Amino acid sequence: MDKLSQYLARDVGIAKVLAYSGIALVISLIVAQGFLMGFIPPPSPSLSAEELAQIFIDRKIGIRIGTMIECIGFTFWGTWAISIVVCMRRMERGIPVLTYASIANAGGAWVFFLLMPITWAMIAFRPETMDPKFIQIMNDYVWFIFILSWPPFAVFMIFIATAIFRDHNVPTIYPRWVAFFNLWCAVLITPAALIEFVKTGPFAYDGLISFWFIYIVFFGWIVVMSFVTVKALNRVAAGAATTS
Amino acid sequence: MRDLLLTRTTLIWVLLVGATLVSWELGHGVGFDSATSAGAAILIVTFVKVRFVVLDFMEIRGAPRWMRVIAEGWIVLCCALLIGLFLLAR
Amino acid sequence: MPGEEGVWLFIGGDLILFTLLFAVFLHMRGEQLTVFTEGRAQLNQTWGLINTLLMLTSSWCVATAIQAARRHQVQVTVRCFGGALACGLGFWIVKCFEYSEKLSAGLTITTNDFFMLYFIYTGIHLVHVTIGMGVLTALIFYARSGDFGATKLRNLESGASFWHLVDLLWIVLFALLYLVGAP
Repeated sequence: MDKLSQYLARDVGIAKVLAYSGIALVISLIVAQGFLMGFIPPPSPSLSAEELAQIFIDRKIGIRIGTMIECIGFTFWGTWAISIVVCMRRMERGIPVLTYASIANAGGAWVFFLLMPITWAMIAFRPETMDPKFIQIMNDYVWFIFILSWPPFAVFMIFIATAIFRDHNVPTIYPRWVAFFNLWCAVLITPAALIEFVKTGPFAYDGLISFWFIYIVFFGWIVVMSFVTVKALNRVAAGAATTS
Repeated sequence: MRDLLLTRTTLIWVLLVGATLVSWELGHGVGFDSATSAGAAILIVTFVKVRFVVLDFMEIRGAPRWMRVIAEGWIVLCCALLIGLFLLAR
Repeated sequence: MPGEEGVWLFIGGDLILFTLLFAVFLHMRGEQLTVFTEGRAQLNQTWGLINTLLMLTSSWCVATAIQAARRHQVQVTVRCFGGALACGLGFWIVKCFEYSEKLSAGLTITTNDFFMLYFIYTGIHLVHVTIGMGVLTALIFYARSGDFGATKLRNLESGASFWHLVDLLWIVLFALLYLVGAP
């Protein structure tokens, strides 16, 4: 293998680790938010402020440990997203518009992801002395950040789909079904917009559709993309090896 | 124009419109005394319509066998699920 | 296979969501029979029927367009897609009338659970109609240049299948929201 291919193999190796970090994100979510914090599903938005404050007081140790884990786990959003953008760069020619747009997108989304555990940790810092109404506002805030921030993620999915459709490589780096998968996920997370209108029922932020269905689609998307991106990176390495 | 209209597609459209009118009548009190029976009948007619759209408009009739199996399976299961949920209403 | 596998993945996925939505509707209806029966009584049945006929006709247009494309009849193909687009536009206009009727009667997404689902479900469907109209517009431009080879036909079929999905979803929504329940 010549020097160029050696460097490429190492670069792709790093990118593959980044791709797998998406799986670490999902695992940290399940462990921290599910088991430690008990926030899968969220506490109902129709709870009174006092009931909600009591939840934070009761679970404050679990929340503190869980958010500490999530601060690390959610950092992997950025690393995972960039592994996809690496492939996107290879799919574009000329001016890599979608690549640039996706880098900006992933960076912005990173902030949302980290704000969530940080805010929860802050609430669990001294929940006994906080005004329950304040706790309610900040808890709603976290869930709104989590779910109402869906548009940039849908846009990222559309960028990925567009890049795949326009991929000039033969064979394409990602198989075409991944493009449709991304479009499908983008459409499927749109009911997230409805959480601001209702406090109970399937479209509230603890509801069957706006929470469960969307969470499964979104984090399932991360897992699926982790695996197909690793395969795509292999194709990137192989393709470059033959052309260099 | 004639060979545009005298097609299987048009026949399917006629059947769909006919089925729509049947379900319309059922939904407006014709044919059954109980709303429950009418509702179940409407759901069945609805999924007959769905089946025509899937098999003939979406052309699953001529698609690979596994696609047809999944499609027909979904039609039957979905119809049964919805009729079941409908009938559970008290 | 009509169209490519990816589009069927998309269609299948959408049907999973909508099957869930249909089930949620009937489950909630079961728990609030009076609310849902009264809500249904307040819907404009005529608009619902017109919309159904528009959807069915638009699907006829799309199916005919595909047949024409297979016979390399460019003009017919383009006109048929145009017809479907017109039906989609008609659907939108009817929906505007219908929504404004409801809103001026003071019925909104927060009125009760029936109207929450009515507005959300028809809203999500309307988003699908809008995306579908975008797809149809793209198909018109795509078909205009003729030269219907295998890839082109496959892409036309993919777009057509999506539109038929939009029709299919309305067929079930029409039954659940407008027809089913005490007359």
